[in-house]
Amino acid sequence: MNYLILLPQMILVAIAMLIPAIDLYGKDKARILPYLASGALGISLLFLAIFTGIIPLEIFDITIPTSLFGGMLVIDRFALFLQLLFGTVTLFVVMASSTYIKKNERNQGEYYSLLLIATVGMMVVAMANDLITLFIGLEIASISSYALAGFRKNDKKSAEAAMKYFIIGALSSSIVLYGISLFYGLTGTTDLAQFGTALSNLNSGQDGLLAMATIFLIAGFSFKVAAAPFHMWAPDVYQGAPTTITTFLAAGSKKMGFAALFKVFLFGLISFKADWAIAFGVMAALTMTIGNLAALKQQDLKRMLAYSSIAQAGYIMMALAVATQYALGGALFHILTHAFMKTGAFIIVAMLSVMLIGSRVEDLRGLRIKSPITAFCMAIMMLSLAGIPPLAGFASKFVLFSSAIDAGGWLIWLAVIAVINSAISLYYYARVLKEMYVLPTGKNKPIRMKEPLAMLIPIVLATAAVIIIGLYPAPFVDAAMDAARALIP
Amino acid sequence: MIPLNYYLVLSAMLFCIGIYGVLTKKNAIYVLMSIEIMLNSVNINFVAFSAYSGDVTGQVFALFSIALAAAEVAIGLAIFLLLYKRYGTVELNNIKLLRW
Repeated sequence: MNYLILLPQMILVAIAMLIPAIDLYGKDKARILPYLASGALGISLLFLAIFTGIIPLEIFDITIPTSLFGGMLVIDRFALFLQLLFGTVTLFVVMASSTYIKKNERNQGEYYSLLLIATVGMMVVAMANDLITLFIGLEIASISSYALAGFRKNDKKSAEAAMKYFIIGALSSSIVLYGISLFYGLTGTTDLAQFGTALSNLNSGQDGLLAMATIFLIAGFSFKVAAAPFHMWAPDVYQGAPTTITTFLAAGSKKMGFAALFKVFLFGLISFKADWAIAFGVMAALTMTIGNLAALKQQDLKRMLAYSSIAQAGYIMMALAVATQYALGGALFHILTHAFMKTGAFIIVAMLSVMLIGSRVEDLRGLRIKSPITAFCMAIMMLSLAGIPPLAGFASKFVLFSSAIDAGGWLIWLAVIAVINSAISLYYYARVLKEMYVLPTGKNKPIRMKEPLAMLIPIVLATAAVIIIGLYPAPFVDAAMDAARALIP
Repeated sequence: MIPLNYYLVLSAMLFCIGIYGVLTKKNAIYVLMSIEIMLNSVNINFVAFSAYSGDVTGQVFALFSIALAAAEVAIGLAIFLLLYKRYGTVELNNIKLLRW
């Protein structure tokens, strides 16, 4: 029993409670709050790095995996991997927010506080080993992000995005909950570790109920990860929400949905793989195709990136169809690289709106002169999203697709569809490059502009991560495979 | 004693009424109420299963889900209030700035 392993979450919760108080009484708070939030995230990331052994310090007497609260939470390699990822994404978002959220905007305390609480919720999902904790983590993160999506209270689009996100989120939560209640009735337990044995004792009359419960869970979680045919909300919400929050939703919240899917299906229900794998296969193929085809004609950068994010969710969903340790490792690796790519790309869009350049694709024209470094980073992100070697997106797609081919059978066709989709996606990613580098800038000559430093840092860091992971993927693949081994031994 | 099936049928019916409401109603408050009905039908399931198996986990889950539903309603009403201030209506048909 070592509760010190929850130190990263405790710090985040403590600072999240402190921030509104400082917002009420503090002076010069618009300067302090982002520092406080990023400081808390930095310290909790430091602890996570010590727990995982990235920083070789033996100051805590901690064994991994640790089981807490009677098996409600289990901190294993899988949980630590995703927690590090969620923490990093939120850190980038907080850094970018310090400029994106104007100094004189209201409710800044709530903004940073809710961001930290949502991060804790996502971390709880990664640790959850029981449907109760899993659902509570999911709700903590979702409820905070409904409010964050509507943060710009004077912006009509922001309010509409919050409304759509709330209705879809609450609907999917109740569908998930209904599925969980049926599983509880079938098994008499909510402990994911006991699902396999409890379900193998079912008599044949209960098969229908088991199928229904599984369908409810698949549908509910698919809403959360915006997989087709449950994806319609994502582009609207991503476009309407403040861009930093869009970053958080695309790079963090969506990954939380996958963490929940992996926990329930690849850990709890793995013994019934033959029954649900085909459903995920069909959904994965649909999701990537619809996402890529819809992205082709988008003129708004945020909307285009939202559809691209749907397509990427389709690639990650392949792992649930393949359902092997290697595939899960590939999916976790793709989650890691995709988080960096989407964080970078969306923060660039946020920076363009701060620099008053605009967020349509044709607004990028002349960016190579206005801000060469931004143009370069955007180009790297686009190429990596399309999966061009030697960038990170190629490495993770390679592992993911090869796992499907490894498994053989109908999964080879899934891999073929995924490769064709990658080729389609190159079209709209290349359009961004064309606008930035190839097309002439027109009559009014663009002038060199000054980038806000607080946004440039996360962009450059994300770009560096994409290049480093692409050139030297071995340690990251190993970490992802270690994490996968914790779930599928 | 009433058989377990009766409770399950009741909760399934409530859940379907909730889904029907979410899909057909155009007023945001109606939608919120329908979602509440869905969440409460789940609680019936949990408590019924728990009472018939003698295991308390279901009742604990029902308590958690009531608390979460309350939090969800609070944030939902706040969002709809904001919507009313910006658009002057909570009829979902009239709120369509974001389209493809």
